Amino acid sequence: MIRFALTRGALLIAGLLVASAVIFLTLRVFPGDVAQLIAGTHATEAQVELIREKMGLNAPLIVQYLSWMSGVVQGDLGLSLITGAPVSEELALKAQVTVPLGMMSLVIALLIAIPFGIASALWHRRWTGTAMNVTAQALAAVPVIWAGMMLVVVFAVWLGWLPAQGFPRTGWETPWLAFRALLLPALTIGIVEGAMLLRFVRSAALQAAGEDFVRTAAAKGLTRTSALIRHGLPAVGLSIVTVLGLQVAGILVGSVLVEQLFTLPGIGRMLVTDVGTRDLVKVQSALLVLTGFVLITGFVIDIIHRLIDPRQREAL
Amino acid sequence: MRTTHRRHTYGRLAAFAALTAVAVALSACATGGPTSSPSPSATPTGPPVADATLTVGLVLEPTNLDIRHTDGSALEQLLIDNIYEGLVTRNGNEIVPRLATGYTISSDALTYTFELNKGVTFHSGATMTSADVVASFEEIRGDDSMHSHRDFAGVESIEAPDEHTVVITLTEPNVNFLFLLGGRAGLVFEEGDETDMRTAANGTGPFILDRWIQGSSVTLKRNTGYWGDPAGVAEVVFEYITEATARISTILDGSVDVLVRVDPTLLPEIADVDDLEVVEGRTSATGTLAFNLRKAPFTDIRVREAIRLAINHEALVAALGSGQTLFGPIPELDPGYQDLSELAPYDPVRAKELLVEAGFEELDLSLTIANHYPTTIARLLVSDLAKVGIQLQVNVVEFPAWLEDVFRGHNFDLSYVEHTEARDFGNFANPSYYFGYNNADVQRLYARALAQSDLDASAELLAEAARIVSSDHAADWLFAATSVNVQRQGVVGFPHDMVNARADMSRVTIVAE
Repeated sequence: MIRFALTRGALLIAGLLVASAVIFLTLRVFPGDVAQLIAGTHATEAQVELIREKMGLNAPLIVQYLSWMSGVVQGDLGLSLITGAPVSEELALKAQVTVPLGMMSLVIALLIAIPFGIASALWHRRWTGTAMNVTAQALAAVPVIWAGMMLVVVFAVWLGWLPAQGFPRTGWETPWLAFRALLLPALTIGIVEGAMLLRFVRSAALQAAGEDFVRTAAAKGLTRTSALIRHGLPAVGLSIVTVLGLQVAGILVGSVLVEQLFTLPGIGRMLVTDVGTRDLVKVQSALLVLTGFVLITGFVIDIIHRLIDPRQREAL
Repeated sequence: MRTTHRRHTYGRLAAFAALTAVAVALSACATGGPTSSPSPSATPTGPPVADATLTVGLVLEPTNLDIRHTDGSALEQLLIDNIYEGLVTRNGNEIVPRLATGYTISSDALTYTFELNKGVTFHSGATMTSADVVASFEEIRGDDSMHSHRDFAGVESIEAPDEHTVVITLTEPNVNFLFLLGGRAGLVFEEGDETDMRTAANGTGPFILDRWIQGSSVTLKRNTGYWGDPAGVAEVVFEYITEATARISTILDGSVDVLVRVDPTLLPEIADVDDLEVVEGRTSATGTLAFNLRKAPFTDIRVREAIRLAINHEALVAALGSGQTLFGPIPELDPGYQDLSELAPYDPVRAKELLVEAGFEELDLSLTIANHYPTTIARLLVSDLAKVGIQLQVNVVEFPAWLEDVFRGHNFDLSYVEHTEARDFGNFANPSYYFGYNNADVQRLYARALAQSDLDASAELLAEAARIVSSDHAADWLFAATSVNVQRQGVVGFPHDMVNARADMSRVTIVAE
């Protein structure tokens, strides 16, 4: 087990290193830079060059990369080129929107996926099960932006129950307002992600229904349904945990789109703005943190998987 | 100042309007402009609410708040007159004293003497004196990387004979100098201030910066220690939202009081809401279609003229739903404006002939356009130019890429951006500007216009130069932009004119119904 964790840990670190280089280099491909943007259309080329020099943008790329990474390993994500604010502070501030949004989305996705996924597996020969499956297929294919617009039309414009966009300036000091502001965005991501997750749950449940131990339980006198629920569910749980790792990445991508659509001041919207202003130090650090988050989630899930699946433990 | 706006009143939202909004957003297509008849605005009755909050919906957020270094009209809109003040300011196109009680200009137009208001304090509590003014200006003069550095190029000396007097001497007359001082160049900062101006502020203005939530909003609070008349509202919130349909919903659900620069094609959505009023404010912004004059085929005037004649400007303005046609480099609000429409009438037949004469039966060109402009513009240009045999390939790019490729690299055929600055005719007298327009007559006329002490004589010279620029077809001007704004009833005194560049909120009040 420890050897397994160590190998996975080493892989994680290697993954982060590769990611940091890829992030750093791809961002340098964008045309235009922050110095030109700050100078705008009012400055001469010499003035722009002066600003560039002052900001340290003229240093060789390898020097810029190493100085960024040496900061990162010491926990220093650098300063925004535009506002001079520490990137870690900005991220923490924006995370107050994105993290609750992600968690709410995840909860909604699970609330949709688990009950309906199991139900549609149990009833897979009946029309209700088929209907659920078809609906899920359709919803999973819906673009997040379109889902968001439809939800806005129904819940914000027609019914007027929820705000169409924005996040209260008072933030979580007014928890009810903040929660309401995130509900539609979270539903938008949650429904689409939930529909995707539902199909995993369904196939996992179907597979579990065919497993020996479920059949044995059924043979012992349990009904098929209770055999599945009592003995099959742990196996279903396992596959959900695995897929969740992928879902986290999906929810992050979804939040970038949804924060744009609902004008939420979160990490996704910050990234879009910062790419637009070529605040590359901020973008690369934020992306590295997000990549790290996804990779670490994957790592943790691998470990959990090991711990809760008796079959894998025996194989070690 | 003339403040005749076109005013329209609309009534209540229907559910299908929202669906229309979605449809419009999805297809990103425009469908005609405001269709309404002018009616007098309701006269507000109640007294101003002293503790009111005014919420204003804007589009482009400042990248940071450092108005001394960072370009962008969003910074000026937010900060000038609200947080920071200059010796003089611009009221529309007029120059009026602000921190100065008044000024005198010597007969040779070289010496400007400003008398300062007494009792002016910074938000930090420090008293403003002439030393602060001199320090502010000298810092810009001595630092090449500062935004207004070049505005002080013709300044010989800046002196403070006493605590309340500032004397600026120029090396040569510059009719634009006061106008420049009414912009960023003239803002006064506390000497030796250590405030990080990128995210904080310390000015003398009627509002104090309360909070900037990046990606969302800026909140200003009334400066209770203000040296002049206190602001009419206790708090101003600027909400920055870019998405057109999301913006409209903010005025519908009451989360903003004034929505600036609405996409006019979405106006039918508020057509039935009773307490909303549409006001069209004028601006000095010009939608400029630049030709890369440094390279073929644009070195051939026939090609340039053909492109201008091929564009149906009336139809373009109608499709955008706002703005006015403009056929020269100087918009109506700036000195030197004249109607030059006879120089580029819509005539696709003649355009085609000119192209054939120039040897271009068919022509492939590209258009570089920044991604924050309506797609309608590129779409109409493509179809107009196709009719005369020009295949236009559209490159939609982010603004930094436009700066890199077009502005700096001069690597483009046609380029579209909106030039927002007022009195920016000088760009056509500057051969190294991205237009690449190099005409000695224009440069001479412009220099003479600047050197005049008489404003009318100066304007006449500018008009003459502008006529040459337009006759040369140095560029095409698609429209003079207007800002279609929507305001809630009860908002009084909102500065709709030039609001894209200035938004002095101190005179705005909200009255009780």
